[in-house]
Amino acid sequence: MMRTPTSPRRVSRGAVAALAVASLTLTGCGREAASTGDGPGQGEAVSDGAATGTIDVWAMGTEGELLQDFVADFEKDNPDADVKVTAVPWDAAHSKISNAIAAGETPDVSLIGTTWMGEFAEAGGLDPTPKDLVSEADFFDGAWGSTVVGDTSYGIPWYVETRVLYYRADLAKKAGWDKAPETWDELKQFATDLEKKAGAKYGLNLQPGQTGSWQTVLPFAWSAGAEVTNGDGTEYTLDSPEMTETLDYYKSFFDEGLSPTRVLDPGELETGFADGSYGAFISGPWHTGLVEDAGVKPDQYAVAPLPGKDEAPGTSFVGGGDLAVFADSDNKESAWKLVQWLGEPDVQSQWYDTVGDLPAVRSAWDTGKLASDEQLGVFGTQLETTEAPPAVPSWEEVAAVVDSDVEKAVKGAMPVDEAVKDMQSQANSIGTGLQ
Amino acid sequence: MSATRSDNAVDTGKSGARQGSSGSTGSRSSGSGSAGIPAPLRRQQTIAAWVLALPFMALFLVFTLGPVLASLAMSFTDIRRSDVRTPFAVGFVGVDNYLSLLGDSLFQKVMLNTGLYVVLGVPLTMVVALAAAVGLNRVARFKGLFRVGYYLPVVTSIVAVSVVWKFLLRTNGGLVNTALGGLGLPEPAWLDSTSLALPSLVIMAAWRNLGTLMVIFLAGLQTIPTEVNEAAEVDGASPWQRFRSITVPMMKPTLLFGAVITSIGYLQFFEEAFVMTDGGPLDATRSVTFFTYDQFGFGNYGTAAAASYLLFLAVVVLTLVQFKIFGEKD
Repeated sequence: MMRTPTSPRRVSRGAVAALAVASLTLTGCGREAASTGDGPGQGEAVSDGAATGTIDVWAMGTEGELLQDFVADFEKDNPDADVKVTAVPWDAAHSKISNAIAAGETPDVSLIGTTWMGEFAEAGGLDPTPKDLVSEADFFDGAWGSTVVGDTSYGIPWYVETRVLYYRADLAKKAGWDKAPETWDELKQFATDLEKKAGAKYGLNLQPGQTGSWQTVLPFAWSAGAEVTNGDGTEYTLDSPEMTETLDYYKSFFDEGLSPTRVLDPGELETGFADGSYGAFISGPWHTGLVEDAGVKPDQYAVAPLPGKDEAPGTSFVGGGDLAVFADSDNKESAWKLVQWLGEPDVQSQWYDTVGDLPAVRSAWDTGKLASDEQLGVFGTQLETTEAPPAVPSWEEVAAVVDSDVEKAVKGAMPVDEAVKDMQSQANSIGTGLQ
Repeated sequence: MSATRSDNAVDTGKSGARQGSSGSTGSRSSGSGSAGIPAPLRRQQTIAAWVLALPFMALFLVFTLGPVLASLAMSFTDIRRSDVRTPFAVGFVGVDNYLSLLGDSLFQKVMLNTGLYVVLGVPLTMVVALAAAVGLNRVARFKGLFRVGYYLPVVTSIVAVSVVWKFLLRTNGGLVNTALGGLGLPEPAWLDSTSLALPSLVIMAAWRNLGTLMVIFLAGLQTIPTEVNEAAEVDGASPWQRFRSITVPMMKPTLLFGAVITSIGYLQFFEEAFVMTDGGPLDATRSVTFFTYDQFGFGNYGTAAAASYLLFLAVVVLTLVQFKIFGEKD
C-alpha cells in the first residue's frame, strides 16, 4: 500500500464527516421539546345506552380465569356486546401489555397492577377516564390515587389489598396485652414484651431491605407525615426529617434484636409464626390463609390496623388492580361501560363472593360477609387510611433504590441520614418521568 | 500456484487477468492452463449459491445482525421504555451512558463482584476439573459411572440446582449447617453474609461446571502419547514431574479452550444470584448481567444496552489476555 503524507489526514477527515452525518441523522430524529403544562384532562363523557360490539379484556391470575363467566350478567344487559376475556399469567403481564402498547395492538380493557399505571399512562397507552363515569368519592382514597398520573385519572380501581399487623393473640395475652398496639411507642413495647415475656425469638418480623421492603417501610413513613413525591409528581421528596425519623425507628427494631436482620426463606415466617418464634409481622390479606395452613388456629392470632405514629391511625400501603381502557381501543365507549359496570357496588360485592378480591368501592363493604366478618373489618378499617405508591413511570426503579438504602441503613453499612440523602440524590438523577 | 497464475495472465492478456485471479484454484485442480469452469456456468453457480444462502442471510440480518446493531445504536441514545412507540424520537447522547455507568458506584460494585467471581471461579473449576480428569484417566472400573456422575450437574437446570443449593445452605435447618452443628462447628449464614455469599456461589458454580471441563480435559489427556510418559518414567521422573513437564504443556491448547469458555460463562453469571440471593446481601452477589437485567426492567434501554456492551468488551479483553498467556509458543 502506498502511504502518502496526506492519507492519515484524509482518513480522519473522512471519519469526522461520517460522524457528523451520523450525529446529524440521529439528532434529526431526536426528542421533541418537552411538553409542559397540564395533562390531557379527563375524556369526554360516555353516551347513554347499551354497550355494543366485541370488548377484548385481559386479566391476570384468578381474575382472568373467572371473569369470563362473571360478565355473563353484563352481556345479558347489553345483548349486542360480546366480552372476550383472555387470561394472562401475572409473570408475563407487564411485558405483554408494554409490547402491546408499543405495537398498537392492545385489547380494549385490561387489569393493570397499580404500580404500572404511571409507566403505561406516560407511554401514551391508556385512555383518560371519561368525565362522570364513576364518582371518585365512592372509592377508597388511596386506591383512587393509584389511577391518577399527573392530574389525570386513567381508569378505576377494581380491587384492593392493604397491609395490617398480624400478631399471636395468645402470646400477646401472655405478655400482658389484651389489645393491639396503637402507636409507634406501643408497637416497640409490644414487640419487646412478646420477646421478653412471651418467649418469642423475634417480637416483630420486618424486612431488612432487599426487594419489596419499601412496602413495609413506606407505611411507617406515611404515618410520620413523609411524602414520596410532590403534589403533581414531578419531583421526589424522599429526603425529609420525617423519612429520617422513620428509618431511625425502623432500624431500631433490628438494633434491639426485635427483628431478624436476614431475609427469611419462603415458608420460614409462617412456620415460625406457628411455633411462636415470630410474635408479629406486617402483611396483606393473603397471609390469613397461609398462617392457618401452617397450623396457627384462628383464635391464636389476630389482625389489627397499623399503629400510627401518635394517636392518629397508621397509614398503610394499598395495592391491587386497576381497570383501564387503552388509547388504541376501537371500542372505547363500550369498553368504558364494562369498566363502569365492574365498579358498581353490588357487582363489586358479587365479585368478592366469586374470587375473594377486596372491593375498591366503599359501599360494597356494607353488606354480606364483608360487613359481618371481624377480621375482614380490620382490612376495611385500614383501607380508610392508605396511600398508594406514586403513579410515576420511574417508581419501580426508585423503589429499588429505597430497598437498597434501607438495607444499608438497617445493617449499619451507612448512617440513616446518609441513606436518606442517598435515596434522594439517586431519585433526583432518575427523575419521576413526568414533566 | 503463483507461477500458474502469472502464466495465465501473460497468456491470455487483458481478459485473462480477470480469469487468472479468480480461476487460480480451477487451474490447479484441472491441471490445464485454462480457467477450468466456463464463465456462464460459473455465474449460474454463483447465483445458485446466493439463492441457497439467501434464506439464512435474511434471517441472520433480521434476527441477529439487525438487533445487535440496533442495540449498539441504542447504547448511544437516551431511549427509555416510554419511547417504545416512537423509537426514533430519542436523544443522541454519545458515550454519556458509558461514562455514567463507569462512574456509578453500584456498577463499580457489580463489576468488582463479576471480576471476583471469574478470578475465584475459573481457576477453582479448572483445577478441580483437571484433577478429576487425571484421576478418571487412570480409573479402569466404573469409568462410565464416574463420568456420568460428574457430568450430571451440567445437564441439570441451573435454576433447579440453585434452588437445591439454596436449601442446602439455609441458615436454619440447611443440610450444611445441620452437619456443621452436629460436629460442634459454627454455623455461618452462608447466603446472608456479605463475605460468604459470593464464595458460596463460586463453589456451587465450580461444582456444577466441572463436568464440562472434565470431559474436555479427558479428551485432551487421551491425545498425550503414552510413550512420552513411559520414557520419562524410565528416566526416573516422579509423577508430579511428569504431570508438570509433560501433561500440562501438552494440554495447553485444551487448557486454553477450557479457560476461555469458563471465563465467558462466568462473566455472565446471573441465574445463581437471581434465585439464591436476589443480588444481596448489600449487593454482594449482584453481577453485571443482573444489573443489566434490572436496568431493562426499569425501562432504561439505553443504559442497559451500554452495560451489556461493556460486558461484551470485558469478554473480548479477557479472551485476548488468555490467548496471550496460554497461547504463547514454548
